[in-house]
Amino acid sequence: MGHHASPTPACEGGGVTCWFAMSATETDVLRLSNSSASPRQLFASVWECRELITTLARKEFFVRYRRSSLGVLWAAGLPLIQATVLSIVFSRVVRIHTSTSYPVFVFTGMAVWTYFTSTITAGSTSIVDNSGLTNKIYFPRAVLPLVQARANLYGLAINILIVFALAIGFGDGLDAHILILIPATLLLVLLCSAAVLTLSALHVYFRDIRYVVQALFTGLLYLTPVFLPLQRYPSALRHVVLANPATGIVQLFHYAIAGGAADWGHAVLISGAWTVALAIAAVYVHCSRDRVLADLL
Amino acid sequence: MSGSIVVEGVGKQYVKYHDQPMLAHALVRLAARSRTDRLWALRGVDLRIDSGECVGVVGRNGSGKSTLLQLLGGITAPTEGTVTVYGRVAPLISVGVGFHPELTGRDNVFLNGTILGMSRRDIERRFDAIVDFAEIDDFIDTPVKFYSSGMQVRLGFAVAVQADPQVLLVDEVLAVGDFAFQMKCLKRIDEIRTSGASVLLVSHNLSMVERLCRRTVVLHEGTVRYDGPTLEAISTLHALLDDEAQVQAGAVEVVPNVADVTEFAICNGSGTPVNATPTGERLTARVSVAAHRDIERPFVGLTIDGPRGDAIFHQGNRSRPFPPLAAGERRVYEVTWNAQMPTGTYGVRMHLGSIAADDKIAILSEPAPVTLFVQGKLDAHGVIDVEADFAAGD
Repeated sequence: MGHHASPTPACEGGGVTCWFAMSATETDVLRLSNSSASPRQLFASVWECRELITTLARKEFFVRYRRSSLGVLWAAGLPLIQATVLSIVFSRVVRIHTSTSYPVFVFTGMAVWTYFTSTITAGSTSIVDNSGLTNKIYFPRAVLPLVQARANLYGLAINILIVFALAIGFGDGLDAHILILIPATLLLVLLCSAAVLTLSALHVYFRDIRYVVQALFTGLLYLTPVFLPLQRYPSALRHVVLANPATGIVQLFHYAIAGGAADWGHAVLISGAWTVALAIAAVYVHCSRDRVLADLL
Repeated sequence: MSGSIVVEGVGKQYVKYHDQPMLAHALVRLAARSRTDRLWALRGVDLRIDSGECVGVVGRNGSGKSTLLQLLGGITAPTEGTVTVYGRVAPLISVGVGFHPELTGRDNVFLNGTILGMSRRDIERRFDAIVDFAEIDDFIDTPVKFYSSGMQVRLGFAVAVQADPQVLLVDEVLAVGDFAFQMKCLKRIDEIRTSGASVLLVSHNLSMVERLCRRTVVLHEGTVRYDGPTLEAISTLHALLDDEAQVQAGAVEVVPNVADVTEFAICNGSGTPVNATPTGERLTARVSVAAHRDIERPFVGLTIDGPRGDAIFHQGNRSRPFPPLAAGERRVYEVTWNAQMPTGTYGVRMHLGSIAADDKIAILSEPAPVTLFVQGKLDAHGVIDVEADFAAGD
């Protein structure tokens, strides 16, 4: 009485179905079984969704400021206020010699740090936070953390423009070194993307991740050369600061704005190593878990 | 525009966590190698839906309907077996996915369309058709939070059906929205199906399933119990539900130990028990009674509950009771009636009563109701069928 599908694959089943299989493009055929995707399939499916990432990122950025009367100005205003307060405090309490004026130094570091923390805080919980989407429709779950890495680029761009303005305003000037910002930003985005891809998938299984990340960030700011140049840290602490994945990137940014001695090589290698390790973890976890993450939401 | 679905030997197992999995627990579990509770939401499901077919999926809550939809929508992967879906899928599992209340209708159309897999150019091309279908042109630049819930649903549905889906997965979404819009949606779904898409309709609304699908699958406890013509499928589902109702029967206060109803069924003209019937059929409600004591004036009552659960008809033979029954005697009582009703699911109840010497009435037995699906006339709605005829005058 029952209608049962023949066990032959659709295309050998012949007839009508075969025609669809050939007429539909490969992206329109969905095959699901209990097996992992290959890294190539993962990259291809995320690449397919690039427009979705942009749309969601734009929404993310603009919705954040939609209800406030000053709107997007807050994206620049908030870090500016933060940097002013911090540079006043630090220049009064400790006398620090930096290769640029101190506010420019602090603000450059803060620009990187703001991107780093806001991307990782929002990104690592993004799959769970968007369960309203992930429970209803499929797209690679990697899209959601990547949206955060993309959305925060708007803020980073604004902050870098403020850095330029400050550097000129304080009489430090800018030179060809600013070209370093291109690879520096690239490394920053790659590092943060790899971190949030890994963390967001783990966070589906272990909701503690949210608090672990928050706890880490409270201390990590002081172990990142945002207020102090690396050389000014006590030698015992310097190794810890060097192990921090953000350090190399902050140093690259400082070098791009202020020039000076190219002493960032070591730290950048460490940032790079973190990026590679996290990227491998991210690809592994998304290849094997992509389709089943929704089960736990 | 063509799509099809092939499901082969599919099973989906879920891990039942008693609580949120925590890092500490995971480490303990890893050390102890203890197993967590597992649950098969679906097992051994084979299904093939061709282009141009509209297949209904029915079953009670927890039968695996949602899991099947999630698998076909690619939201989750099967634990065993394979699912293959040819063509672009539009899951109408929940319309307006990703709508943001602060954004305008226009922004949300682009957002939702992109989530559904349309490119920006696709959406721009269909934008007017979407707004037109949703009937909200004056509000398109208003934030969605100012929309009524009906407007939000209309807009969400409009985006989904304008995406030219080749596979349409329809959940209970059609339950919302006003009647006129529902009809418009059904019409659009049928257009999409006719153009070669395959449609899967999951619903508790059996009249809608009956209206749209010629073929229906009954899921029960994660397996396919029936797959075939819709009326038969609905009958199978009701038989399954009645089995469970029987277990839970006994809600009415009855005088015990006087008589039992050993069997209660609704039979068609050829004497076969049925759970579904075309309208206008002459049916027989039959109870088999076993008396344990003498019953002076036995009678039966027939009650029909409408689709909303309220009794729409009752009649008994209290005024003209049956001849007396002696202790130990068995008898069959029959009530023959016309199932002249619009489409819907009805509950048919019978009770056995007796009238004592002082004319007091006692209910002796009330078996669990039998569910009956009536396939009514086309375009007939309501509680009764007045056998309307339509004619044009001169």
